[in-house]
Amino acid sequence: MSGSAAAIAAHRDGALRRGAGLVRALVRRHPRPFIRAVLSAAVFGSATVASSWALGRVTDKAIVPRFSTNRIDWGAVLWALAVLIGVGMLRALAVVARRSNASRTQMRVEHSLRLDVIDHYHAQPLGWFDRHPTGELLARAHADAEAATQVLGPLPYASGVVVLLVVSTAWLLVTDITLGLCAVALFPLLVAINVIYQRQVEPAADRAQERIGDVSAVVHESLDGIMVVKAFGAEARETERLAVRARRLRDSQLEVALMRANFEMFLDGVPALATVALVFGGAWRVQSGAMTVGQVVAFVNLFTLLVWPLRLIGFVLGDLPRSLAGHSRIVDLLGGFVPPSALAPIAEAAPGDAATLVGVTFSYEPGRKVLHDLDLVIPAGRTIAVVGATGSGKSTLLSLLAGLHVPDQGTVAVAGGTAHLVFQETFLFAESVRANITLGLEISDGELWDALDAAQASEFVAALPDGVATELGERGVTLSGGQRQRLALARAFVRHPKLLLLDDCTSALDPTTEGRIISALDARRIETTTVMVAARPSTIAVADEVIFIDHGRIVGHAPHRELFDQFASYRHLVEAYERERSERP
Amino acid sequence: MTEELAPRRLFDVARRGWKASPELREGTRATVTLALLGAVGRLVVPILVQQSIDHGLRNGHVRLGLIGVFAACGAVAVVLSAISTRLAIGRLARRAEDALLGLRVRAFSHIHRLGLEDHAEERRGALVARVTSDIEQLSQFFSWGGIVFLVDGSLMVAVIITMGVYDWRLTIIALVAAAPLTIVLRLLQRRLIAGYAKVRDQVSILLTAISEAVMGAAVVRAYRVSARSSQRVVVASEQLRDSHIRAAMYSAMLFPSGEMFSVFTVAAVVVVGVALGPAGGLTAGSLVGFVFLCYRFLDPIAEMTETLDQTQSALAGWRRVLDVLDTPIEINDPMPGRELPHVAPAIIADHLTFAYRPRPGHETSPDTALDDVSFVIAPATSVAVVGATGSGKTTLAKLLTRLADPTSGRLLIGGIDLHDVRFESLRRSLVMVPQDAFLFDASVLENVRFGREDASDDDVRLAFVELGLEAWLDSLPEGVRTRVGERGDLLSVGERQLVSLARAYVANPVCLVLDEATSAVDPATEARLGRALESLARGRTSVTIAHRLTTAARADKILVFDQGRLVETGDHEELLVLGGVYAALHASWLDATVV
Repeated sequence: MSGSAAAIAAHRDGALRRGAGLVRALVRRHPRPFIRAVLSAAVFGSATVASSWALGRVTDKAIVPRFSTNRIDWGAVLWALAVLIGVGMLRALAVVARRSNASRTQMRVEHSLRLDVIDHYHAQPLGWFDRHPTGELLARAHADAEAATQVLGPLPYASGVVVLLVVSTAWLLVTDITLGLCAVALFPLLVAINVIYQRQVEPAADRAQERIGDVSAVVHESLDGIMVVKAFGAEARETERLAVRARRLRDSQLEVALMRANFEMFLDGVPALATVALVFGGAWRVQSGAMTVGQVVAFVNLFTLLVWPLRLIGFVLGDLPRSLAGHSRIVDLLGGFVPPSALAPIAEAAPGDAATLVGVTFSYEPGRKVLHDLDLVIPAGRTIAVVGATGSGKSTLLSLLAGLHVPDQGTVAVAGGTAHLVFQETFLFAESVRANITLGLEISDGELWDALDAAQASEFVAALPDGVATELGERGVTLSGGQRQRLALARAFVRHPKLLLLDDCTSALDPTTEGRIISALDARRIETTTVMVAARPSTIAVADEVIFIDHGRIVGHAPHRELFDQFASYRHLVEAYERERSERP
Repeated sequence: MTEELAPRRLFDVARRGWKASPELREGTRATVTLALLGAVGRLVVPILVQQSIDHGLRNGHVRLGLIGVFAACGAVAVVLSAISTRLAIGRLARRAEDALLGLRVRAFSHIHRLGLEDHAEERRGALVARVTSDIEQLSQFFSWGGIVFLVDGSLMVAVIITMGVYDWRLTIIALVAAAPLTIVLRLLQRRLIAGYAKVRDQVSILLTAISEAVMGAAVVRAYRVSARSSQRVVVASEQLRDSHIRAAMYSAMLFPSGEMFSVFTVAAVVVVGVALGPAGGLTAGSLVGFVFLCYRFLDPIAEMTETLDQTQSALAGWRRVLDVLDTPIEINDPMPGRELPHVAPAIIADHLTFAYRPRPGHETSPDTALDDVSFVIAPATSVAVVGATGSGKTTLAKLLTRLADPTSGRLLIGGIDLHDVRFESLRRSLVMVPQDAFLFDASVLENVRFGREDASDDDVRLAFVELGLEAWLDSLPEGVRTRVGERGDLLSVGERQLVSLARAYVANPVCLVLDEATSAVDPATEARLGRALESLARGRTSVTIAHRLTTAARADKILVFDQGRLVETGDHEELLVLGGVYAALHASWLDATVV
């Protein structure tokens, strides 16, 4: 054996061992339905052999005597048929039991895997999500959990097929050793055809799958950019771009289809030829008195029944690599580090202070500090604006105050131990308006509407088809950016936080509405200290003091006018905001 | 979601699809003939058993030679018919894949020619599905259901004929005994379809819950609602699990019901056959052969039933694709069209009115976006269009670029009615820079070249130089070869706009329609953009849909729109003096200033 062949054999060996390990790991979660499925499959395998045997009996006891003696023994006929029907029913019931228990196993294990994955997500701090693309995380919880358990579907059937083969072989050998030996030689051949096909078709099928992805990428992109395509009259060019990929996809699909057609030809043809040979061989054995006509009929029937089950072994082998890959991705994920808490520890701020930072340094990735040694005291009852260029660390500062990230060094203290952050980009859940604001908090309708009022949202919420009960998201109402931002504000207001953090979350609102919200905040300043990232002159104008951040350091912390006079860089920034001001009707 | 189509509708769809795909129709007769020949091979074993029992195994005296001849004939028939089936399936696969390729490309091309109203954001996903998942479903159908119908259908025809030749009485018994199966299958099948529709619904609910746990991770943590978020996934996953187990139960019952019925059918045939006996013209061999035929007859029924769900959703998808192909194209290339001269043109709007067609389900009066608008723009001047959201300024841009046609009134460009201009000439002379600077997942070079296919590397570079963007271009890691990522994600919003301007520049139009972006960009890019826009507009007639008052202030002329009407015209100074809508907008802008 050459080196590479040995390596492949070793790999295959490893794959089988890994396959067994995978099945053990999956089945351990829900062994009962799996055991029921395997037992039913064994009953099915035995009943399949028995049904052929029963047909042989019908031939020998009912049909042949009737036509050779011209006499009807109704007792024998009905008895033989009763056995045939009984075995047939048993076989059908075994199929129902096997299939339903197999899918029960599969679904339950999938569910358990998924919950482990989701628990893992919820235990992770926010920073972890920055390092893992959303698509990947969705795939772990859905597609991978599904792929990992795929093999559990056909597995009980395949084990039933093993029983079927063993019982068939034994029966054939006991009845007639010569025919039995021929059959023993045939079964491995059929299994081999299946295995070869699976091996062959897999790369081609993967390629076709990839090309489906190529086609869909072009379609998505081209329709997303339809304005540009139309603006430059590039419709024909885009169609050609798709056609090239669609042709490649067609070639791949066809390759797979023809491969399968070739395989079907052998898989149908070989057993049919074997059956023809069996009739001849059977006749020869009948001549020598070793067999009855009924037994030949029974064997012929058994051969036709075997064709389909034999494919199952191929299916299992086909599903195995995908299941192994899906499962190992999940295992890798779950093996990752889980911190004791998904949130950073936050100390209680001293009385009279809304928040304090002492020597806080923070970096998202090692070696690239975003905040450098910040010291900051925010007295209670004030409205503070945070101003700085893009990437200066404003949002990071707010997320540290909210406990979303753990500082590398230094301590964060907040009044009451928690602050509420309203994000730059509003995230709404596909639930009702009410559920989106309460997020499980138990409050009265009065409190809810107070918060909506303060966020300038009550008017549009009241106009929604079902008011606060209106469902949002894909299956419900779609809100504009400004409406979404106002709901996010209401979500924070309803919690009456001691410290409210606003991360440029009024960008989609017109100045009038924004102004009203800021007055509402002003009215609450006794209970709530507000820190807001500001990119608009109007927002800066209402702040008692401004924190000016540049490259992760606090450059100044004073009223706007003082900073404006003192720092040229601050002046330039605010003037740029002025120029950039959008016209808003 | 699968919609259940009535059988008659299914047939209609198949007929429409058949008509719309010439590739599919080619050589059908040969394919079906081959499939029927292939089916004969599956009858070899029953016939061989019958012949052997009746002629070779009679009265305990075995004529081995005769059986040998039968077996040899049978073997040849098996081989030939296996080859026939293989050829039939191969032909079907080829025709089907060619047809789907044609259908996909035609649908894509048609979708691209649809008007912008059909391209509304909320319909985007549906249009994508027409060219992707709907066609893939059809492809899956042709690789399983289609083959089952062809091969098993041929088999059933062959089996019934053979049964009839053996004995018509037993044939009737077999058909009557098997008839209730179709009812049972139909009932189970309906539940199965409903069951899997529910599963699909639950999958999308689960995906929403999972994606909320992931994409809403910040909110979930900031508001300390992990337990709640987790619970939502648990409930959704439980519901999916339970609905899936229920649907699988129906499919578990569906599968063996064919086998169940075959046992009863065989029993009925044997009882009647034994009762008829030799006096009834039967032989032992023909009765045994008949029993085998019964099994052959019932197997395909179950398999065909299993494919019904797939068939239904494939045909429903097919219908959706055909419906798209039937959607009329509203904006047509005039034949023969006129050419626009390649000099900066004057633009004249002559009583323009435009109303969006009422949305299906919203039976309100048509939504008038532009109401009797007239203006004149001199050649090589810059015009800014301002107004609140919904004032009609974006609609005007669509009319100017003929992405929509006015309901009434005319637009004259260089003295020629826009309606009479050939598309190719129009797209060469008049370029729109859309608000969303969409970039393709390719290099900067390829994106700019989208403006003019034959632009050389030097032309592209020159475009950046002329727009004053050379320094920016050189700051990119790989210059013009830098990849911009999906939708241009690797560049900032402002940088995407720079590339989009270079793309317009390289197209070298004589007239520009610019839909200004609303999103804020960093001050350095903002300054670059301003300069580049000025260079781009120089020497061309330009119409800018302005969202910034500073842009408007720079323009030669400002058109102020309010609720679909042109309310004020003039330059910045004139309009301020006028003290109308524009002056009010300007005042509110100054108001919000702290400096």
